[in-house]
Amino acid sequence: MSAEQNIIEVDDLKKAFGENVVLKDISFSVKKSEKVVLIGPSGSGKSTLLRCLNRLEDDYEGKVLFEGENVNGASKEKLCLLRQKMGMVFQQFNLFPHKTVLENITFSPIKLKVASSAEATEHAHELLEQVGLSEKAEAYPQSLSGGQQQRVAIARALAMNPEVMLFDEPTSALDPEMVGDVLDVMERLAKNGMTMIIVTHEMSFAQNIADKVLFMNDGMIADSGTAKHIFKETDNARTRSFLSKVM
Amino acid sequence: MFDFLKQYYPVFVEGTAQTIIISIIGILIGILLGLIFVMMRLSKVRVFSYIARVYIAIVRGTPAMIQVMLIYYTLSKVLEVPQIQFLGSGLDRVIPGSIALGINSGAYTAEIFRSGIISIPNGQTEAGLSLGLSDRTTMFSIILPQAVRNILPALGNEFISLVKESSVLFYIGVQEVTAQALGVGGTLYDFVPPLIVAALIYFVLTFILSQLMQLLEKKMGRKYLQSN
Repeated sequence: MSAEQNIIEVDDLKKAFGENVVLKDISFSVKKSEKVVLIGPSGSGKSTLLRCLNRLEDDYEGKVLFEGENVNGASKEKLCLLRQKMGMVFQQFNLFPHKTVLENITFSPIKLKVASSAEATEHAHELLEQVGLSEKAEAYPQSLSGGQQQRVAIARALAMNPEVMLFDEPTSALDPEMVGDVLDVMERLAKNGMTMIIVTHEMSFAQNIADKVLFMNDGMIADSGTAKHIFKETDNARTRSFLSKVM
Repeated sequence: MFDFLKQYYPVFVEGTAQTIIISIIGILIGILLGLIFVMMRLSKVRVFSYIARVYIAIVRGTPAMIQVMLIYYTLSKVLEVPQIQFLGSGLDRVIPGSIALGINSGAYTAEIFRSGIISIPNGQTEAGLSLGLSDRTTMFSIILPQAVRNILPALGNEFISLVKESSVLFYIGVQEVTAQALGVGGTLYDFVPPLIVAALIYFVLTFILSQLMQLLEKKMGRKYLQSN
């Protein structure tokens, strides 16, 4: 595994909120096109870890390298550029309620001058078609269901043509019947070769999609390996007990 | 009872115009200062946040009348404003007076802005930042437009207060509508009718203002409610 293939490298990451240490010596790497799934009990630090990658969580120790560039040490301007290459999808969608679906998607590419207004609009319509919401371009987020909102959020993140997509429990806030649509979109994205890091509680989805599964427990990567290893073969008692509860 | 209006209506018109002008200037300065101070108040730089807190505490904790007089007497020493007459008052009084109104209003406006900003979920900021937008763009294009919509009723209140409070400029000799009414009252040896006229004028002004704010609320709210 040469370092050049790694699009993300995390080395000895430590993060604490005051006295509360939530991440302890996390190290792992992600290769281009790889799908890494983070699983583990609530409070184990999965989301915090994901949020350290694009520095929505700040003030951590250790190294996070994205395409060889140090995320932790980046200046504000540099950080904005790095974040443009890391799309993020949130549990609560976080669409901009004062903008239409189309404006949600085109706002940042236009504002950040990565595309002209016409290009961004064209790209946005393509993305909406990909997520199956072409007819919703002029709607406001409030009028959409949760599953539709999340698919728009995915389209919005993709509009910046990111190198990596970070998913922070993308289906946890959805009604069960909406989950499938969102997972379908993610699966298609995976097939197209997108590098993805996913925090999820959808175990069968994780099993299907993951090239690598990291099982997190108490701020540490307690177990890691292929989906087959984690879900079928592991000897790790914590992993087994967690999986027996959620599957 | 209101026969005097035949003779004195130009005075009231002038006073009303003066009130409108000082109020508009006061509101504009208030919004500007409110924005500046709310950014300072929410800044991670301690000194900025501290300065903003002190400003807000002083303005809220002291009478507007004293503030206006202090600002007028201080500014008149520092600022050389030519003694040009404008709607019956010297600009050397109107300008410091409106600035004082703005400084007063700015503190309240800053707090109103703050309440609006903290009412927007943190996820909105995070979504903006995660797309690679700068802190500033996220604040001005994502957070503030939503915050302003939430605080329009409170802002409307503040603007209405300011129109009424602008009567304190009477103390520094700005001939706004209250001052004019008192002047007319002095000439007539009867204060009640001219003060009723002044009160009616304030009522009409604030009523129009509140209608305008409601219109704005509707306009900003409409698109949120618009369904597909």
